Amino acid sequence: MTLWDLSQGSSAEVSHYHHSVEENYQTRLSELGFHPGETISCVLSPRLGAPKLYRVNNTIYSLDDSIASLIEIN
Amino acid sequence: MSKVALIGSPNSGKSLLFNRLTGLNQKVANYPGITVNIGSGQSLSDPSIEYMDFPGVYSVHAISGEERLAIESFTNALKNDLLDSVICVVDSTRLEKGLIFALQILELCYQYQKPLVIAANMSDVLEQYNMQFDYRGLSAALGTPVLPISAKTGTGLEQIPDIIKDLPAPSANYQSDTIASDASLVHLQAQQLAQNFGPKGDLLIKAQNRLDSFFLNTWSGGASFFLIMYLLFQAIFTWAAPAMDAVESGLQMLASALLPLISEGILSDFIEDAIFGGIGAFLVFVPQIFVLTLVVGMLEDSGYLARAAVICHKPLRLFGLTGKSFIPMLSSVACAIPGIYAARTVDSSRKRWLTYLAIPLMPCSARLPVYSLLIAAFIPAQKAFGGLLGWQGLAMFSIYLFGIICALLVTAIISNTQKDMRDDLPFVLEMPPYRLPSWQPLVSNAWNRSKYFVTKAGKIIFAVTVIIWILGYFPNYGAALSESWLGSLGQWIEPIFAPLGLDWRYGVAILSSFLAREVFVGTLGTIFGIEGAEENVISLAEQIQSSGLPLGSGIALLVFFAIALQCVSTLAVLRREVGSWRLPVQMFIGYSLLAYGAALLTFYLIELFT
Repeated sequence: MTLWDLSQGSSAEVSHYHHSVEENYQTRLSELGFHPGETISCVLSPRLGAPKLYRVNNTIYSLDDSIASLIEIN
Repeated sequence: MSKVALIGSPNSGKSLLFNRLTGLNQKVANYPGITVNIGSGQSLSDPSIEYMDFPGVYSVHAISGEERLAIESFTNALKNDLLDSVICVVDSTRLEKGLIFALQILELCYQYQKPLVIAANMSDVLEQYNMQFDYRGLSAALGTPVLPISAKTGTGLEQIPDIIKDLPAPSANYQSDTIASDASLVHLQAQQLAQNFGPKGDLLIKAQNRLDSFFLNTWSGGASFFLIMYLLFQAIFTWAAPAMDAVESGLQMLASALLPLISEGILSDFIEDAIFGGIGAFLVFVPQIFVLTLVVGMLEDSGYLARAAVICHKPLRLFGLTGKSFIPMLSSVACAIPGIYAARTVDSSRKRWLTYLAIPLMPCSARLPVYSLLIAAFIPAQKAFGGLLGWQGLAMFSIYLFGIICALLVTAIISNTQKDMRDDLPFVLEMPPYRLPSWQPLVSNAWNRSKYFVTKAGKIIFAVTVIIWILGYFPNYGAALSESWLGSLGQWIEPIFAPLGLDWRYGVAILSSFLAREVFVGTLGTIFGIEGAEENVISLAEQIQSSGLPLGSGIALLVFFAIALQCVSTLAVLRREVGSWRLPVQMFIGYSLLAYGAALLTFYLIELFT
């Protein structure tokens, strides 16, 4: 299951990144808070495949499917 | 002179703080490809301090070429002793995010023995929500001063010069090899510090979520997006109208006061035709630039533009672009130049390159007088659809839409054929909190942008106007235009435009408009012998009608102007942004050929069916 599959209002813990995510981008995702072990909530999931909104601590990020589907969750 | 660097993450309020401290008004960003734009300015309260504003970055671990340049320039400045101290700006309302970067900067400052102050911005928001922040505790834990400030209200700013003057380099209290360690550990450290000393509760995030549920909802979000875009266009085309009328009347009054004082002759003709006729036509559009910059700035500062980027991401991705391309493309509706500057916010260099390709095709305000003239000349002023819509309004809407469709088609084709993946980053966008914009910097920014437009584009328009006037006036002192140097030149280039059904007069007007589109109206007005054609577009339109120009040629001209990249200022700004002439020259040649081909096709199709 990936972050993109997370429905609005639910939370999950990041497990790992897909191997296709480049190392420097893995570092950036970790620095933004999307690191393995961190709990992420999906705060908004608009229809029609629009980017979803995820909460990491006190910050909200918008991620589209191209990256959210590469972040595996437990 | 003591040199103080300002550094921080995007959306931390760093540039607003810099402008407050220096009294300047600028935004810094990484110039893609070549250099880093570092703003500098003297402190308002202490002239012995010079602040240097470095571009906002999220981390010292760069993910793009531009970030790498910004970080390298900062570390080089530290290494080479070009800085005396550093101020790292963090957003107090999202402390853990700011602290990740602050911890990395703290380590760099410790390594190079440079004093560091952490400016905890947005203390006004914490006060408003009655949230507590233990600044002293955080300061003691980090071993460096943490100063609560508000760049918006100015709170705490007066303490900065005194604090940085006698500040020692950071102690070893918080030395943790932050940069080399795993990113998740750094995040954990920042999280713990934020939990121990930062504001508690999620009041702000709840308020933000409520607004996001409305502005990003499929239905209410879509409706509000279209309403906001409608208001933006109203602002450009309707709200700016009184100011445009005022500029026009002012110029007319000045001309009627000044011209009788000058005896008739070459000087009088020059001032009347070239200065008031040529420059006046261009100055009339300055209020539109001002209003657009103001409204776009307001949307940006309120936090809405980030939401608009989210809304537009999915549809723009179909054409190879990203939601972040929306802001530059929207800005280009007034003028391509602010659009090109706004493209700096597109972090993926591939998407930014595609955005640059789309920008000159967006229907900018310089095309407006050309469209108005041609539509008035060729489209009847009659109502259609039971009086609901006018044909002329429909034609204007269609040509605007045509430009946008062309932009999207070009990026879609190039994106699918050019597979070069230069720094193509995924879509991860931080949603800034919703805030009430601060008016003073917005107005100041709009004023500066308008001033820049007048001083930069104005020089080119003035030069073109003078050249056209000289060529059209001599050697027979304005007696017969067809026998002037301009007439001879026009007849020489006539074969190029003859396939479009255009004679030499239109050829000259098109040629002059390659410097700036709006010059077309002024040149044609001079050629048709109508003084001040821009103040009375209809009379020039009537002249065009009576000149026997076929409908196909008129529509072909509209198509030509919708595509051709006729703006020297746009090319010059683009060259500066990308660091070479290659892309501007490629775009200029490509769009000129495409414009000519599309105009030719339009002419033949219309001639075939009429």
